[in-house]
Amino acid sequence: MKTIQATQSITLNINGQTHSLDVEPRFLLSDVLRHKLGLTGTHVGCEHGVCGACTVLVDGKPERSCLVFAIQAEGSSVETIEGLSADGMTRLQRAFQEHHALQCGFCTPAFLLTATALLKQTKDPTEQDIREAISGNICRCTGYQFIVDAILAAAKGEEA
Amino acid sequence: MSDALHHLQKNALKPKYTGARVTRKEDARLLTGASRYLDDIEIPGMYEIAFVRSQRSAARICAIHLDAAQATPGVKRILTAKECPCFFGSAEDVANGVVQPALARDVVRYVGEPIVAIIAETRYAAEDAVERVQIDYEPLQPVLAMRESLLDQPRRVHEKTPNRMFHSEYQTSGFEDAFQAAPHHLVEVFQTHRQTGVPLETRGLAATIDPGSGRLTIYATHQSPHGLRGDMAVALGIEENELRVIVPEVGGAFGIKAHAYPEYLVVAYAALKYKLPVKWISDRTECLLTDVHARDDIHEVEVAFEGNGRILAIRDHLRADAGAYSAFPFCGAIGETVLASRVLTGPYTIPHLATTIDCTYSNKTPLGAYRGVWGPIASFVQEGIVDRVARALHLDPVEVRRVNMIPDELFPYTNAAGQAYDRGSYRASLEKALEMLNYDELRAQQKTLRDHGKYIGIGISAFVEPTAMAQSEAGSVPYESATIRIEPNGSVTAAFGLGPSGQGHETTMAQLIADELGVDLKDIVVLHGDTDSAPFGGGTGGSRSGPIGGGAALKAGRAMKEKLQTLASHLLEAAKEDVQLEDGKAFVAGVPTRNFSIRELAQVAYTDVLRLPEDFPVGLEVVARYQPKRPVTFSNGTHIAVVEVDAQTGMIEVLDYVVVNDCGRLINPLIVEGQIQGGVAQGLGSAYLEELRYDDQGQVTTTTLADYLLPVATEVPRMRIAHLETPSSGEGGFKGMGEGSLIASPAAFANAVSDALEPFAFMVSALPVTPDQILAAIDRSRDSMA
Ligand code: FES
Ligand code: FES
Repeated sequence: MKTIQATQSITLNINGQTHSLDVEPRFLLSDVLRHKLGLTGTHVGCEHGVCGACTVLVDGKPERSCLVFAIQAEGSSVETIEGLSADGMTRLQRAFQEHHALQCGFCTPAFLLTATALLKQTKDPTEQDIREAISGNICRCTGYQFIVDAILAAAKGEEA
Repeated sequence: MSDALHHLQKNALKPKYTGARVTRKEDARLLTGASRYLDDIEIPGMYEIAFVRSQRSAARICAIHLDAAQATPGVKRILTAKECPCFFGSAEDVANGVVQPALARDVVRYVGEPIVAIIAETRYAAEDAVERVQIDYEPLQPVLAMRESLLDQPRRVHEKTPNRMFHSEYQTSGFEDAFQAAPHHLVEVFQTHRQTGVPLETRGLAATIDPGSGRLTIYATHQSPHGLRGDMAVALGIEENELRVIVPEVGGAFGIKAHAYPEYLVVAYAALKYKLPVKWISDRTECLLTDVHARDDIHEVEVAFEGNGRILAIRDHLRADAGAYSAFPFCGAIGETVLASRVLTGPYTIPHLATTIDCTYSNKTPLGAYRGVWGPIASFVQEGIVDRVARALHLDPVEVRRVNMIPDELFPYTNAAGQAYDRGSYRASLEKALEMLNYDELRAQQKTLRDHGKYIGIGISAFVEPTAMAQSEAGSVPYESATIRIEPNGSVTAAFGLGPSGQGHETTMAQLIADELGVDLKDIVVLHGDTDSAPFGGGTGGSRSGPIGGGAALKAGRAMKEKLQTLASHLLEAAKEDVQLEDGKAFVAGVPTRNFSIRELAQVAYTDVLRLPEDFPVGLEVVARYQPKRPVTFSNGTHIAVVEVDAQTGMIEVLDYVVVNDCGRLINPLIVEGQIQGGVAQGLGSAYLEELRYDDQGQVTTTTLADYLLPVATEVPRMRIAHLETPSSGEGGFKGMGEGSLIASPAAFANAVSDALEPFAFMVSALPVTPDQILAAIDRSRDSMA
């Protein structure tokens, strides 16, 4: 992504790696991840903060990267789906495959990150806990049931 | 018969993959974020496009001021209708002068219609420039109300053409007499409000001149790669072999991506004209304004019936609002009404039908395809009628369904509109769903709860789903094609003209081929979405990929199997009929040690060609096309929703949901269930949440997902699903199933609310039904009782 207006130099910590880059102050974190760093696993579905597709973990907490300017992410550690998958698929990712928790896959990275944060926090979530935790993420394909099943299975430590 | 042979035959009857809950080949790339969707595509030196769109629903364009935009840093080119004078359009629309130009010329006809395209170095810069374009409009009176616009009131949308862009009438012979003679009648007006598919990935297109071949290459979020190539070639005035369409990963489509949109043409035209790589991806507001809308229909219905609930005749005046232009290549208003009129009698033996259809232009967004198209509307009307008959006669809605449902012995059955239904499990699916729900007990509970001020409702929806139609929104070809190539090392590459967007065709098509060839699923790669590698096909839509694409997979698989058997029988010196394929080997039946692996056969076919039998063509490649004999095959089933309506707040909570689905022989139950669950969630949105609202000036007021509400995980119920399998007469016995869940579920959800609110004499007649409407109805009823 080229810059047109005056830029600012920032340092971002993404998936444990430090990146120094020049950005326009108005650049969204989602755009910088996707178009400056090539981390296109973070998806953009609305840019209004509603669909949750752009969710990344900022200091371990799910955040909508379309609502954050890249410059605001300085000093935080950001994890994206590429970071989550750095050592191959996690148990949660395998459970998603086993339970058919994805169709088009566009919402999937965001669900995985949201659920990863949930499972770190809550060891033994109920179905209702899970539904509430993912209620800020929209999936238009699956009807959520298999996503819930996959997260439940991963929480129980059921191996796919 | 030897034991070995017996074993083999048993295996032949019970395929390894077909019908199994196989997990998907697509998943690994999607789960790790490695997949590439349209906006992930970067072409070196690529520019981005943003559009200036009409802010008026109806106006003449007096002047377009571009100076400030031109001076914006990063801007490369600006296009108006003058620079980009092209369009997609049918010959008929061209003749009638009602085609939408790629960029609006003198008049704008809906909010969001593209007028100017800005090509800039970045999307940010392009959007900066968009804000600096000033357009002078002379307002025209917007045409917004369906009934008036059909009468050319307040004016014509297209000066030279009447607003009524489609009209048809149909009546069974003897209709009037049968209608008049019936002892009971009722009337109702059903209305569905505008909705749209909202795939989570917005739509877009990138285009570039391929530096090697000089051909135009287009990346598109599209359901029909070859369809788009053909339409694009015509609109751009180039040959199909000068154009390559690549469909990358598609993040949901649901019909809206079966259309060719004006912006696509602008992007491709700009790439061609200026020799620039360019990309446009819409934002969500653009999507809500300009992705085709759907479901803008009114049904004025009269019903004649007997005292036992038997329905004798339905008269329906169907109206739909097509929007400002006929969406290309498929007009949603005509599709929704014409096809609804053919399945209005649903799974019932209603002998008489009279339909009048009127579609109108308006100053709204064009109406196009959204999953189910006509089906959700027809089911809402048909199941709404059944429940009204039950209520009028104080009968259980189940009884009325039993009285009217097509009995098994009448199949194949031709309905009152002349549609031929193939065999299904109509009665069985209803009974099975009732049993899963413990219906009688639930009815008793409902009564008790009502006495305590708790309003539970049970909504039944028995549905028919026309699938694998010869004509559908995805492609105008009644067949699909498959190529299979066994590579020199024995691995298998198959290619299809399908355009999947999450349905898992790489898996299901591979399952079918793996079973034919006796190879492992992981040894098969399924390609699609590139017109350079895929055989010509219709694409994905209209629930056709499983039955028609799957049929092509089977045919191609059989042809390849034949070749392998011929080759192996020659090498093994055995009769061809005795050669079996299993575990990646061809062997003589009963003597598995006498074998050649597929790998060895491929080696002979490509390299060691002197060992080939005479007349055996070098290599291992086949192409097969499958065109079903029937023009349509009907899936069927029953959905039942159980809801609770809070009489204080009007809020609806779904307590239970059961589905009995029959889509013929199952290829992959896991994938089928995923499709059903997603469709039911969309049905919940259709019934309770989703509405594209317009104000009295024709402005869309629902321009974000905070206004156009999609169902979330806390609202969508857990569904219980059972399968019945009544095979079709087509290849493999498959029927389609991509839309049935969204066809059936809005009616189930609507009927459940009607049932819950029986004490308040309320029935849902418009979708979506919202808490305000429910509260108003409860108030009305209390007032009238007071
Ligand atoms: S893209 Fe950020 S919430 Fe939708
Ligand atoms: S899988 Fe398509 S949006 Fe969730």
